Amino acid sequence: MSQEISELHTEEFFVNMGPQHPSTHGVLRLLLKMDGEVVLDMVPHIGYLHRSLEKIAENRTYLQFIPFTDRIDYVSAMFCNQSFCMAVEKLANIPVPERAEYIRVIMVELNRIASHLIWLGTFSLDLGAITPFLYCFREREMILDLFEMTCGQRMTFNYMRVGGLSRDILPEFVSKAKEFVNYFLPRVDEYEDILTNNPIFLSRTKGIGILDQKTAIDQGVTGPSLRGTGLKWDLRKEEPYSVYHKFNFEIPTAKNSDVWDRYIVRIREMRESAKIVRQVLEGIPEGPVKTKTPAVFKPPEGEVYSRIEAPRGEMGFYIVSDGSPKPYRVKIRTGSFSNLTVLPIISRGWKIADLVAIFGSIDVVLPEVDR
Amino acid sequence: MNSEDIKNILNQKFADKLKEAKITGFEPSLIVEKDSLIEICKYARESDSLLFNLLSCMSGADYADRFEVVYLLFSFTHKHKLSLKVQLNKENPEVESVTSIWQGANWYEREIAELFGIKFKNHPDPRPILLPENWNEGYPMRKDWEGKDFKRMPEFK
Repeated sequence: MSQEISELHTEEFFVNMGPQHPSTHGVLRLLLKMDGEVVLDMVPHIGYLHRSLEKIAENRTYLQFIPFTDRIDYVSAMFCNQSFCMAVEKLANIPVPERAEYIRVIMVELNRIASHLIWLGTFSLDLGAITPFLYCFREREMILDLFEMTCGQRMTFNYMRVGGLSRDILPEFVSKAKEFVNYFLPRVDEYEDILTNNPIFLSRTKGIGILDQKTAIDQGVTGPSLRGTGLKWDLRKEEPYSVYHKFNFEIPTAKNSDVWDRYIVRIREMRESAKIVRQVLEGIPEGPVKTKTPAVFKPPEGEVYSRIEAPRGEMGFYIVSDGSPKPYRVKIRTGSFSNLTVLPIISRGWKIADLVAIFGSIDVVLPEVDR
Repeated sequence: MNSEDIKNILNQKFADKLKEAKITGFEPSLIVEKDSLIEICKYARESDSLLFNLLSCMSGADYADRFEVVYLLFSFTHKHKLSLKVQLNKENPEVESVTSIWQGANWYEREIAELFGIKFKNHPDPRPILLPENWNEGYPMRKDWEGKDFKRMPEFK
């Protein structure tokens, strides 16, 4: 009998994971080459959410394209707004009032927290922990309420404009936001109590999916996944845009480059973001929130590339203007697109259950990949 | 290193193969001769004074008389930037792939090849990436592209 078993025929096989799979958080197909439960190789197939936003941009005015930027990454739409507006402002040399810059920083940092909360909730859900998911969405709801109060939308904001903001914040926003930050900081400890030193969580994440720094840089990985490899790189600090140079905050890094490190970097980032929001709320200057731009806005001829630190890495817009009201060419550089390219490299040799953890840890949002 | 220094270093070595360009926010910007692209990229990636280890972004563009491919480079070590451009003719747009220098160029090049119809020679994995598998309507990011349901917005004056 034992001889029979040892002579059993085994072979490698292919499995499709997705396009509809709960742990791919969107529509992504991973073609896996498996040996039993072990992933030998993988080919990611993207493009299921390709809406050709770059082509649409060539057919719209600059102002008309701002609502489309929300759809690049619906989880952190404020960043897309900010990135696009900053690029156009740089191109046309439009100043932004200081009050607008302060409010932008509040909004994007709140959005960063909301985005990391979605990531934390779904990531822990993938690993089998259901409670943090409920906690995360509870806190995220409060951030969305703050956004709704300001611009009437909860996901796709269309809040920023070239030269400032579409509208000012309400008078009660400051106190509500302060209340939220004070409430939120102890909640992060709560998530950490559940996960950080949990033995099941540790055994699912420690030492899994190691992404070494050289590969990460070579593949163009940015954001928390890069900081998880020990490189202290954050555009907010290194290339301060907006008014970030006025505030104190740390850049969290970790050094083992595994799934757990990428987790802890994001947890710490949420704390830092909350601290930035608290500092900004202390001193929002008075004044207008928008520089006047002409109704038919025509930036001068030229090319620009401007980038910001979004929750998933560098987000940049390369815009070519030919002096007409519509952009000649818009290229959207997103963090997820480059970050996804390392997935086949770091998941080789791990079991399929670990693949779920690894994929969760690089935090990919599919609309951002396909655009 | 500031942008003038980078330009000087490259000009010393490849003086006759470079021309000035301008990309605001990513200076210096240089137009590179197509045939020496690999040589210049290798130098930018490997020489100790430049060490551009991140290919931050790559983009294609379609103009009336030419195609362009833009490489936006950044160095984590020296924290400086460089943008390179190659100009390709309309009839047979073809350029050497830089995937051997920066792995991250792989998907960017696949995207540009698919949407603009620019061919990247020696690309390790030249499959389509974003469009549907049975796509046969040409290269949608070209300016003269006419799709079945594609309508242009009215011109603004």
